[in-house]
Amino acid sequence: MTVMQHVWIVLGVLFVLLNIGAGLIWVERRMLALWQDRLGPNRAGPLGILIVLADTLKLFFKEDWVPPFADKWVFIIAPAIVVASVLMSFVVIPFAPGIVVADLNVGLLFFLAMSSIGVYSIVLGGWASNNKYALLGALRGASQMIAYEVFMGLSLMGVVMMTGSFKLTDIVEAQRDMWFFIKQPIGLVIFFIAGIAETHRLPFDIPEAESELIAGYHAEYSGMKFGMFFIGEYLGITLISAMTATIFFGGWLGPEFLPGWVWFFTKTFAFILFFILLRASLPRPRYDQLMEYGWKILLPLVLANVMITGAVLLWLKG
Amino acid sequence: MPLLFYTSSVIAILATIMVITRYHPIHALLYLVVSFLAVAMIFLSLGAPFVAVLEVILYAGAIIVLLIFVVMMLNLGTDTATQEKQWLQPKVWIGPSLLALVLLSEMVILLMQGDNADMQVTPVEIKQVSISLYKEYIIALELAGFLLMAGIVGAAHIGKHKKKHLHRFLQEENLDAENKKMKQVEETVNN
Amino acid sequence: MPGSDVNNSVLWPLLLYAAVVAFLIIAILALSYILGQHHQDKATDQPYEGGIEQTGSARLRFSAQFYLVAMLFVIFDVEAVFIMLWALGFYELGWAGYIGVSVFIVQLVVVLIYEWGIGALDFGPDEKKIMRAYRRKIKNQSV
Repeated sequence: MTVMQHVWIVLGVLFVLLNIGAGLIWVERRMLALWQDRLGPNRAGPLGILIVLADTLKLFFKEDWVPPFADKWVFIIAPAIVVASVLMSFVVIPFAPGIVVADLNVGLLFFLAMSSIGVYSIVLGGWASNNKYALLGALRGASQMIAYEVFMGLSLMGVVMMTGSFKLTDIVEAQRDMWFFIKQPIGLVIFFIAGIAETHRLPFDIPEAESELIAGYHAEYSGMKFGMFFIGEYLGITLISAMTATIFFGGWLGPEFLPGWVWFFTKTFAFILFFILLRASLPRPRYDQLMEYGWKILLPLVLANVMITGAVLLWLKG
Repeated sequence: MPLLFYTSSVIAILATIMVITRYHPIHALLYLVVSFLAVAMIFLSLGAPFVAVLEVILYAGAIIVLLIFVVMMLNLGTDTATQEKQWLQPKVWIGPSLLALVLLSEMVILLMQGDNADMQVTPVEIKQVSISLYKEYIIALELAGFLLMAGIVGAAHIGKHKKKHLHRFLQEENLDAENKKMKQVEETVNN
Repeated sequence: MPGSDVNNSVLWPLLLYAAVVAFLIIAILALSYILGQHHQDKATDQPYEGGIEQTGSARLRFSAQFYLVAMLFVIFDVEAVFIMLWALGFYELGWAGYIGVSVFIVQLVVVLIYEWGIGALDFGPDEKKIMRAYRRKIKNQSV
């Protein structure tokens, strides 16, 4: 590949991702409205799609407030970390054959490393705000995210065993005969649950539970700094959906009549819609329920999954 | 790629100096994260991507989070900062840092004089690491497992606390039980 | 720099990508600083506490339970990394490696059972205990 091709891939991937992130503002509101029997945004442009533009402009012109009681630079860095860590995770995802920013051979671990960096955005944002709600949200969010990070890594190990590689293109290629969700159903379920907890989306949005913590760790944020937490959340959904599609549903693989990237984005979009459906339908558990569910149910389950998968694979090999 | 190596090294050293000189614990920890990321880049440039990722997952992503948790919990805020300021007087640090500077300049001169041997980057396959760990070093691995076991048990006992605020039903029951005990004691005394 | 291969993959697009991301973030923050409003009113500089005035400092101290979660996480994360390493060389290691990792995982499970037993994994109020106390109370009242 030439140098220019690499540059185009880098810029193209970023362009597409930012557009998806912004577009989800509209998609989420319309879909929630559909499922809750409301109209949703419908004034600006056809089907209200220009709400994306209006919302972005509004956020840019809102007051850019750094509280005088806050820790100024940490307060500013926190929303930058969330966007940066999520965007960096996309580096290893193959969008189509050959369309990948850097096909690292530690791809899966790179993704886990970036999501462990993402914890800092919540901890630092909540701490720097110097606000009680923010601090409570930060503590809850951090303990939730670090707990589910362990299960997330372990849930993917069945796939790694079958592929023998951390490289995501190898994982996709290994699914030519059969997609991995058939062989690793428990891994898929645990990965997705951990993914919801990592992106702290409903029903696991405990760090920002509005009925008890106002807005949790970003209670003091306004303007585009709040907007970055917002976009970071949508990009996080996209990331988890893309990872699920790549690891368990064959990535770009699909019948020949459509190009690879169409299949990839179709699958990703299906999971994004599933995220939104979860938000529309499920109630929020308590903090202690979420933590106990993780340590007492998911951890034993994920260890059993690893052991049983290993035994079966070795036994089949003979 | 010497360029990547030297840039990351300089960043690592500068970040570590900042860790030592910051008065506020959270700021110091943030610089420590940068320092770990720089070390990860050094490993990456030396052809050890696995160690690089481990550096990020375990050091930057786990251990520093633990430290930040502790700082947040104890809220070592302005008091610690002023205390640090008192401790970090120039007369304390100027001697050792001057001596260290002399050593550093010696090292730089030696590096400049040495014949420009190319850095030998031999990428290590992660599979090799995996196989040697589970074949030759399996005993060490199991021992590490025991060590971690002891770590968790210790942490659990340090962090364990008796619940002070009980639910009202449980409180009532505790009171009832205590009353009963008192009555029994009284009865035995009376008898 | 195209020769800077780290195990068959070209590294410089990663650095370029990181640079573009950093540029975007700085641009967004700077633009919102320039475009956004800055005003100063009576209550602008008050922390938000549900509309009332702040009571006490927000620098609260927390229970050691959160420390325990972080500690558990650090240790389980280290163990998870070892298991990931095994999963990578799974076929090459065969049954010997499987037995090795089994011993390792069994240690993990034993610790988990122990933690469970001493109640280190109970995060909230114990519902069952409370319900039992409630039932006993009802019974005593009816008698």
